[in-house]
Amino acid sequence: MGTLTLAETQDLHTNFYTFEGVVRALNGVNVVVQQGETYGLVGESGCGKSVTVRSMMRIVQAPGRIDSGRIVLFLNDQERARGIEIVQRTETYMESIRGSDISMIFQEPGAALNPVLSVLEQVKESYQFHRMEQMIEETLAAMDAERSRRRRGSLRGAGAVIQAALLRKELAATRRFDERVRRIDNELYQLETSSDTRSEERKADLNRSRDHARPRTGIVAVARRIPFLRRYRRRLDATVRAHVVELLRTLGIPNPENIVQRYPHELSGGMAQRIVIAIALACHPTLLIADEPTSNLDVTIQAQIVELIKELKRTIISSVLFITHDLGLVAEVCDRVTVMYAGDVSETATVRELFRNPLHPYAVGLLASVPKAEQAEELAMIPGAVPNLIAPPTGCRFHPRCPRRMDICVREKPDTVEHTPGHWVACHLYTGKDGGHA
Amino acid sequence: MSLLSYIIRRLLLMVLVLIGVSLLVFTVMMLLPPGQRVAAYVTNDRVSPAQMDAMIAKYGLNDPAPVQYFRWVRNLLHGEFGYSITASSPVIDGFVRFFPVTLGLVLFSAPLIILVGIFLGTLGAVRKDTPTDHFTRVFAIVGYSLPTFWLGLLLMMIFYGFAGIFPPGTVSNDVRNIIYGEGYHQYTHLLVLDGILNWRWQVVGDALYRMVLPTLNLVVINSALIMRLMRSSMLESLGQDYMMTARAKGADRKTLFRRHARRNAMLPVITVSGLTFAGLMGGMVITETIFDRKGIGWWMAQAALQLDVAAIMFNVLFLGTIYVVINLIVDLIYAYVDPRVRLS
Amino acid sequence: METRTDQRQLRPMHPRLREMLFTAKRFLRNPLSVIGLSLIVIFGVIAILAPVLEPPTNRDPYKIPHNGYRIEPSPPSAAHPLGTTQQQYDMLYGLVWGARSAFKIGVLVVAANLLIGIILGALAGYFGGIVDEVIMRIADIFYAIPFLVMAMALVVAIGRGLKAVIIVLIILEWPSYTRVIRSDILVTRGKDFILAARASGASHLRIIFSHILPNAMYSVLILASLNIGTTILTAAALSFLGLGSETGTADWGQIVSLCRNWIVGTPGNRFAYWYTVFIPGFVISLFVLGWNLLGDAVRDVFDPRMRRR
Repeated sequence: MGTLTLAETQDLHTNFYTFEGVVRALNGVNVVVQQGETYGLVGESGCGKSVTVRSMMRIVQAPGRIDSGRIVLFLNDQERARGIEIVQRTETYMESIRGSDISMIFQEPGAALNPVLSVLEQVKESYQFHRMEQMIEETLAAMDAERSRRRRGSLRGAGAVIQAALLRKELAATRRFDERVRRIDNELYQLETSSDTRSEERKADLNRSRDHARPRTGIVAVARRIPFLRRYRRRLDATVRAHVVELLRTLGIPNPENIVQRYPHELSGGMAQRIVIAIALACHPTLLIADEPTSNLDVTIQAQIVELIKELKRTIISSVLFITHDLGLVAEVCDRVTVMYAGDVSETATVRELFRNPLHPYAVGLLASVPKAEQAEELAMIPGAVPNLIAPPTGCRFHPRCPRRMDICVREKPDTVEHTPGHWVACHLYTGKDGGHA
Repeated sequence: MSLLSYIIRRLLLMVLVLIGVSLLVFTVMMLLPPGQRVAAYVTNDRVSPAQMDAMIAKYGLNDPAPVQYFRWVRNLLHGEFGYSITASSPVIDGFVRFFPVTLGLVLFSAPLIILVGIFLGTLGAVRKDTPTDHFTRVFAIVGYSLPTFWLGLLLMMIFYGFAGIFPPGTVSNDVRNIIYGEGYHQYTHLLVLDGILNWRWQVVGDALYRMVLPTLNLVVINSALIMRLMRSSMLESLGQDYMMTARAKGADRKTLFRRHARRNAMLPVITVSGLTFAGLMGGMVITETIFDRKGIGWWMAQAALQLDVAAIMFNVLFLGTIYVVINLIVDLIYAYVDPRVRLS
Repeated sequence: METRTDQRQLRPMHPRLREMLFTAKRFLRNPLSVIGLSLIVIFGVIAILAPVLEPPTNRDPYKIPHNGYRIEPSPPSAAHPLGTTQQQYDMLYGLVWGARSAFKIGVLVVAANLLIGIILGALAGYFGGIVDEVIMRIADIFYAIPFLVMAMALVVAIGRGLKAVIIVLIILEWPSYTRVIRSDILVTRGKDFILAARASGASHLRIIFSHILPNAMYSVLILASLNIGTTILTAAALSFLGLGSETGTADWGQIVSLCRNWIVGTPGNRFAYWYTVFIPGFVISLFVLGWNLLGDAVRDVFDPRMRRR
């Protein structure tokens, strides 16, 4: 199989330091997203799905913290060989990746949009953070085209010359900045494998200068604050706005020129979710993380959004990481799927394989609890509830609820084994360590 | 159009509240016996009991309450506010004399209070649980707990009593001579502004010099409330889902705090800042008494001690009006800043 | 399939008890709340033990004894451990009995306001409509006038003295209690369990008292504890302005007002009279600080949005 890994987590531990104690939300999670696939993450609420993906983007909110483990991204061919380990990288590096290479859409579209900023202002930011160079270039090209059409020497022409000059300056500054950042990132990447003291120092140095790097715009920074000269920005804003409108149109939003001026509270849930998707897609990310994007929407809207994501998967995005607790949705959307329970990965397999042959007792229970059309007998359910993760159960975290519990399950956390090719499971029934029934 | 109808609705509501305020003030006034209420019409110290009775009859102070209320309101609308013993002049003249002193200090200290409150509150929220945060929180709760008059007295004791700097009063005698001297025009009656307009920097300097301690006093006590509110509303804003969206977009810290969090967090602060501004006018009673600044707060304190009914009632009514007007302005600003209010 | 875990889930601790334990633990772990609580307890003990600590010599124990009429305050000495104020009133006596006055003012005002606030707030919040409109517009009117200014005007109208101050503060503070209780009740009223109670035919009174008020209680308690501080500050300010108790009454604000002429010391010793300025104000600050810390802690502990952080 010629599958290429896009992102993976290795033995990820994320903990929340709350007042009541340390919530051990992730207990060594291994997840692999491959290029070109739609990958599902399922489980009951509170089992660590959201924390996993938030860790992958390093946007876990305080008091949460990634305590150990690695997150490796293989974003381009150059990094293909080894990938970039991002837990050690600086926050500024993450900022350049988020929204550009990986982006995320959220569960509650109403809350995910800032109530005091218009749609335009919110979608615009994606371009402002990551596509400034392109935006300036396009603006300049448009202005050039315009100038060739107009007579020279008029007052408006003179204004346009100043504006173009300022834009060129800004473009140069942006390019210099990008170049500098790229150099630092490259050197960091080279240094990643070595761990002697000298390269450690160099790494710390580089990280520091990465953190403090700012585009040096000089005169442009001043001009931006002067009322009349500030006008050059309007041209730029017009370019960005055109991109935003175009983006919304491709996402099937009717009348985008009108929509961009609205505020979130004026939008319906489905529309708001499309805006959230637009924000995430603006820079054509390689990986789109969808954190239960449909659970809070009406069923009809839900279907539309799912269709939209599937459509986008075919056209724009390489891979989708889809979180849901809805197994029906998993069957419809995903290629491969991982079942999580209480911060542990229970089972990973292709969707067909998982539905046909679930191995982990939790996965079995989960599948049995889905109502089917031809359901005759009573619906099965898993007794008990997701445990409190401040004092999680010992050994396998599922053991208090497990119908097939053995002695060893209480003592030892099961290793993940490949039961059949591509079908991984973490359960003592399959690890070969037999402990006998309780 | 919707904004216009919103304004009209708010104006009508404002008139209603003002009528309520006048009723309240009138009720308070009616608690006094006519013999004391007549003071509002007495213009000299020597009035015999017989003359007093004659005046009570003349001004109808024994009439039924509704009659008196409408008469009083009519007088107010005609600009007849009575005579103030403490100002030794009609109330309106006293007001013209005292108000600029208060306004000067309010205009000087209110922006400082609001800025300090917002700055420290944001700082505390951004650096939550660091020493900076703990320091600002302690500052706030101490500022909240100190009696205004005691802090004022301590400041006076330390700076004026011990170090001999920052004397009380509004201006020195030299400066007073300039103000009332030849060629000096009191355009606005605000010392600093008039000083600048007359190009007399000595006036400006002295006026500002004497505002340092009162301002310090007001800032320590009043910015605490804004600070606490700013901190908690900033923290709440930082915990919202849209902050997650912004981070997922790749927003840097500066953009996160300034554009996404602070803008939302400022909303409740706008309201409280407006109220602080209005409340300062009333809170001046203590500060002006201690720092011997003859503004309406000082006047109010004197009037209360000497049963100067006309001055008390006028000031209460005036401050109530100020509050209502500022509240309206704040609501309009709010409607401008928060798109959610605009249409609802 | 009976196991240990299942048993634990079957018989959990009563949720309210567990919440209380958690609350107490959290409360005591915060140093600021412990400081606040200790301050209040210390002041409480002083107020209770006042007759023992400083046996009254007058018939009215709230009159501070004074030894002569000399104007200048005298510094701390064996006879007067904290010195005397202007006109030789004993500072320590005044402060100890002043603690009683402070508690009296704070507790009376807050208790009366709680009562008024609960009744009016419950009426406004539960019945809504015209009742709500009338009560809340009256509250708006009270809000419109600066607190201290209105208090001054009312004291002038009613007559001076500690009793008048208490009455005035009760008249002026009810709107904030009413508002808080009303908004809490509005939130609770829409909850499903209230609708269920109503559907099952419970009477209005029963719903208000056994379902709505217990749920609205926390925010009122927070407000009350934060409000005692403000109440004391206002009462002291009135006394300071000469509108509160008479000269020589054991009342903190009164004692501070006696120091006004002594901020500038003698030419030789500029801090000559620091004690008469510093001590009484410091005591007021500590008392108010205690209540504010306590109120803050109570809010942090009870506020469901804050508590799990």
